Amino acid sequence: MYENNVIKTAEVSRNEEVKQYVTFLVGEETYGVSVIKVQSINEMVEITHVPKAQSFIKGVINLRGAVVPVIDMRRKFNLPMKEYDSFTVILIVEVKGRLIGMIADAVSDVVSFPVSDIKTNINFSARVDTSAIEGVGMAGESLIILLDVDTFLDSEHLKESC
Amino acid sequence: MGDMGLTEVFLNESREIIGNLETDIVTLEENREDQEIINRIFRYFHTLKGSSGIAGFNVIYEFTHNLESLFDKVRSGDIAVNSDIIDILLDSIDWIKDELFSEGDLEDAGKIQAELTERINECMGFEPKVKDKSVDFLSEVGAYSGVGSSERYFKINAVFKEDIYSNGIDPLMVIEDLSNLGEVIVSNVDQKKIPDFYKMDPEKCYMSWEILLKTFYDEMKLRDVFLFVIDDNKIEIENVTDKYAEVKEHGYLTEKKLGEILIEKGILNDSDLEEIVEEQKSQKFKLGDIIVQKGLASTKQVDEALQEQDKIKKRLEVSTVRVDSAKLDNLMNLLGEIVIGQASLHRVSEDMDEEKAFLLKNSLYGLDRVTREFQEQIMSIRMVPIGPTFDQFKRFVRDTAHSLGKEIKLKVEGGDTELDKTVIEKIGDPLKHMIRNAIGHGIEVASERVAKGKPSAGTVTLKAYHQEGNVFIDVIDDGRGIPLAEVKKKGVAQGLITEDENSKDKILSLIFSPGFSTSEQVGDLSGRGVGMDVVKTNAEELRGTVEVKSKEGEGTLIRIKLPLTLAIIEGMLVKVGTSILIIPLLSVIETIQVKKDDYRTVEGKGEVILVRGEYISLIRLNVLFGIDAGIQNPWEALIVIVESNGERVGIMIDDLIGQQQIVIKSIDNFITTSRSISGATILGDGKVALIVDIHGLVEEIKNN
Repeated sequence: MYENNVIKTAEVSRNEEVKQYVTFLVGEETYGVSVIKVQSINEMVEITHVPKAQSFIKGVINLRGAVVPVIDMRRKFNLPMKEYDSFTVILIVEVKGRLIGMIADAVSDVVSFPVSDIKTNINFSARVDTSAIEGVGMAGESLIILLDVDTFLDSEHLKESC
Repeated sequence: MGDMGLTEVFLNESREIIGNLETDIVTLEENREDQEIINRIFRYFHTLKGSSGIAGFNVIYEFTHNLESLFDKVRSGDIAVNSDIIDILLDSIDWIKDELFSEGDLEDAGKIQAELTERINECMGFEPKVKDKSVDFLSEVGAYSGVGSSERYFKINAVFKEDIYSNGIDPLMVIEDLSNLGEVIVSNVDQKKIPDFYKMDPEKCYMSWEILLKTFYDEMKLRDVFLFVIDDNKIEIENVTDKYAEVKEHGYLTEKKLGEILIEKGILNDSDLEEIVEEQKSQKFKLGDIIVQKGLASTKQVDEALQEQDKIKKRLEVSTVRVDSAKLDNLMNLLGEIVIGQASLHRVSEDMDEEKAFLLKNSLYGLDRVTREFQEQIMSIRMVPIGPTFDQFKRFVRDTAHSLGKEIKLKVEGGDTELDKTVIEKIGDPLKHMIRNAIGHGIEVASERVAKGKPSAGTVTLKAYHQEGNVFIDVIDDGRGIPLAEVKKKGVAQGLITEDENSKDKILSLIFSPGFSTSEQVGDLSGRGVGMDVVKTNAEELRGTVEVKSKEGEGTLIRIKLPLTLAIIEGMLVKVGTSILIIPLLSVIETIQVKKDDYRTVEGKGEVILVRGEYISLIRLNVLFGIDAGIQNPWEALIVIVESNGERVGIMIDDLIGQQQIVIKSIDNFITTSRSISGATILGDGKVALIVDIHGLVEEIKNN
């Protein structure tokens, strides 16, 4: 899948802009976040619980000396909880200069899409507020929901969505 | 300053200049003849004009040009300073501030500018440009200063700063201007400082000039040439008409300062000093030693003078060293990492065999000492005097007092008290609210004051000082005080207190409640019930507290207590269940164990414990924070007694782990709504631990 995309990228790159996404799994669904936004992909670490936080905020972690909040994507999408295992990862994304961790079931790939392949005006029922979706991309057979983390993890947005 | 854009540099600089201008203008109003202040204001306008031009703010450039012209006239004595001019200046500064710092476009900006320009022109006598020229012309031919006077000789010694070019000044132009004033007889260029070619920075000025000038003009005219460089550079102008051929060696600049200080203090007189300086030339002793030796002053007096000299030097440094504050923050963060690293090494030492652990611990203690000192040093860089913040209220007090028709003096004490720069940045607003309240509510109108036998002008005092590891800022007014009975009535009516509440402190503290105001009419200034609660919230954000003391008829004191620093605190590590939490050591009174008999549950008040005859509330952090519980019975656990604002509570913990320096990492406020958490830190083992905010915790419990 990855190689195919690379070839495809090479063919179109002469005349079209290409966007790259880190894709990850939450439940049955594959999501993508622009590579530019992703700082690092970390394995699960101990999370310190924070009182009076919203349910999807799991707590805070130590990320190389910085205290970074982490949110559980399953909780955020109202999916049943699942034990964290060796595939569970924390994706550290940068949102408006701040770092936030997203707990996902697994990280899958880095995928490139020519801009024209990203469908932006699709009506579908997602678990996410549609304003937080950049678009939908197809990688082979599977559909990837591209999240706009700036909207999705905006502090106001996080406050409201409880 | 590296990557800061030109605009940003300009805006930063302007903010500083405008602040200085406001202070100076208000001072000018009181001392209308003070030539030094007038010159300074003129220079500020000139700088503002110059840099706005460079930064491309053309509107500001034109406008400040007018102001500069106006002030040139004031400077030359053509126009006397009057209240019209002061008003114009202040209004103009307001307009510049709006233009530079307000977001979005201002609708009337153009109109206001036109009005102001007209007022400025009016002040200058309608035809500024034409008259300007004639004045320049006359002075150029020496109509005022030079006519009839004979030739003079001046020795000018000009040592420019290395970075003079970065201020947009070319020393050569200054020297050329100077040579236009007369005939240069001797011109020595000191090139000693020019480094080897490959080490030379082409953007630096390495040369200094020594010039002997024959001219008809007086010293003032010469000084004018150096007007914009004389403050920052070493410019010496000496009238050597009598002995012009005599070329002296460089003077004793720093030593002379010591002498000057002693003269100012009245310990020495001029002739003493001259004698000593002569003697110093032959003996090569330090000036201070000679003075003591001759019995002209005691060692203590000299030491004091030297300290003062140091202070002056320090003050000069404060105004000249400019560092991007982000760099300081970075430095602080890095130090935080070191402290965390050390904590982790301490932990490692615990798992080692005794002998090795001992060695490691010993070296760690040494390292601890160094980092502590390192921290103090970094802190001291972050510390800035509060004086300028206080001074900027001069304008505010003047305006507010005028608008209310009151006579008010602003007294500033302890302006050199140093605070963390973050604190200084955040303290401005609360101070403003407090001063506004003091003026609006506190101080009476002159007639009322006279009737009460007080001086007609009220005084608002701003005072800052250090005490017990805290900084105190007092705002004091000698007004009518807070009407206790009225506050109580309002408080009862709003359901904040009960009728039988008699504690004066409790009643007074009601003024910090949101929406609370005793003022009957809602004024432009105060009385809308917002303000004092802002003071409280802001102070608490800085981990400080506010208290109020008042005596009816005599005045009010509001005192803000703030921690010295915001970045690193001494903390106590405690264990509750599986969690480790941090309690700031400053809030901790003691740690005790209670007997089963001393523990009660009180209906409606929850659990209490008896500590030396006093019942205090017991707090279970596991309940409050929703974490795993450890020990359930209070008589088996440890109780940490903490205090906030005079209120004591007992926090139940499983175990005491230790005391260490805690680097505070803030938590984004969207993460939690809890007021009981002030931040987090990273422990030696890399885990994140939350820092308990005792003040917030007590408040939160009271509200439940």
